[in-house]
Amino acid sequence: MINKIIMIIREFWPQFVEGLKVTVLLALIGTIIGLIIALIFSALRVVKINKNDKIHIKILKNIGLLFVKTYVTIFRGTPMIVQAVIFYYSFYQAGIKWSAFAAGLFTISLNTAAYLTEVLRGGIESVDKGQTEAARSIGLSSSKTFLYIIFPQALKNSFASIGNELIVNIKDSAVLSVISVIDVFSVADSAAGKYFLFIEAMLVAAGIYLVLTYSTAKILQLIERKLGVETKEMVSSN
Amino acid sequence: MIKINGLKKSFNNNQVLKGIDLIFNEKEVVSIIGESGSGKSTLLRCINLLENYDEGKIMFLGKDIKDYDINNLRSNVGMVFQQFNLFNNLNVIGNCTIGLIKVQKLSKKEAEIKAIEKLNLVGMGEFLYHNVNSLSGGQKQRVAIARALCLEPKVILFDEPTSALDPKNVNEVLNVIRNLAKSGITMIIVTHEMKFAREISDRIIYVDKGIIEIDDTPEAVFSNTENESIKSFLQYS
Repeated sequence: MINKIIMIIREFWPQFVEGLKVTVLLALIGTIIGLIIALIFSALRVVKINKNDKIHIKILKNIGLLFVKTYVTIFRGTPMIVQAVIFYYSFYQAGIKWSAFAAGLFTISLNTAAYLTEVLRGGIESVDKGQTEAARSIGLSSSKTFLYIIFPQALKNSFASIGNELIVNIKDSAVLSVISVIDVFSVADSAAGKYFLFIEAMLVAAGIYLVLTYSTAKILQLIERKLGVETKEMVSSN
Repeated sequence: MIKINGLKKSFNNNQVLKGIDLIFNEKEVVSIIGESGSGKSTLLRCINLLENYDEGKIMFLGKDIKDYDINNLRSNVGMVFQQFNLFNNLNVIGNCTIGLIKVQKLSKKEAEIKAIEKLNLVGMGEFLYHNVNSLSGGQKQRVAIARALCLEPKVILFDEPTSALDPKNVNEVLNVIRNLAKSGITMIIVTHEMKFAREISDRIIYVDKGIIEIDDTPEAVFSNTENESIKSFLQYS
């Protein structure tokens, strides 16, 4: 078996390197874009509707809240593989010719945004109420309180979960091979199909994913230690 | 400076303040005492609108506090909390400068000069760049006082500033408040430190079940033999 694994690595290593780049880019850029979207959505999610608010403010807040809740429910309630197929082909049918990579990145970003919105909401709600009161007591407006006091703490509180989402994305980006994204899994699948060496080819893919996720976890741990945040073990979100 | 008329406040069906009438004069140090749950902290929090009251009126410098821009009001009415509530994402000097930069629109340099002056005043000038979580309770409270002082408020509200501290740290904080009292700043202090209240206050207000029972000089309050409620309260304090 080892000889067959070595043979696959020898023959397919340039494709594996390319696949590795695609996997890393999808996971990293997808997590970053997802985080940016989640920053906005989580702010909409935790907005408080006060009885003193003007009617149009109340309506806007309610629309924002409903939109985010619906978004999170849909994206967390459906598999990413299904989302990828729907996005890829519906855009194609609408005449937008986009690459499989672009469609994959779009899917992974939107999917990540849904999970991170909830992660950040938890982070925001875990900030002590006294922080808001103290900020308001020195005259900071509610938006400045959120921006300068609550949000930085929520982001720090959520760091471990955000890092976990990156690791999840490294692994779960494999499902994007369904729309012909050429990532590590897709290369291994091609190699397996060529020689009917499914176990050997997938062991190579598993090794690459393991090295990637392990090294990412170590880098995240270093950053966490530097930021002084606790590491939290979490199960896959997808 | 502050005039309160007929102040009422309920939480659900529990009426905490049952019609408070009070006046706080400029440069006066007033302590508010009373049992836990008597409405002292709620009264204080209504003054800078951290709690919205149901009925009554609070006038600050001759104007209804609800007619003020709320952020402007709060920068004039400083508050020090029982649990310090220092901003965990900012260091000591950051806690003091954020209000100056974001509310009073001072430059970072101007804000730092002012913050250092106030931190020196409370004996925390050597801890400028420390993480607030590395400080003792007394040190945290002193930074919280400096943070309130930075905005140069016309009045500072202290909500049980020593209740979360051990005896050693209590004295540290009380000394700072003592020095502030001498400087002539208007202060309203909710406290359980009877000895301190007696020593520092121009006036003591005893609140019981949401009503002002006694509003008098420290001597008169502590020698009161007629009011059973305060007699009983002081006996256990």
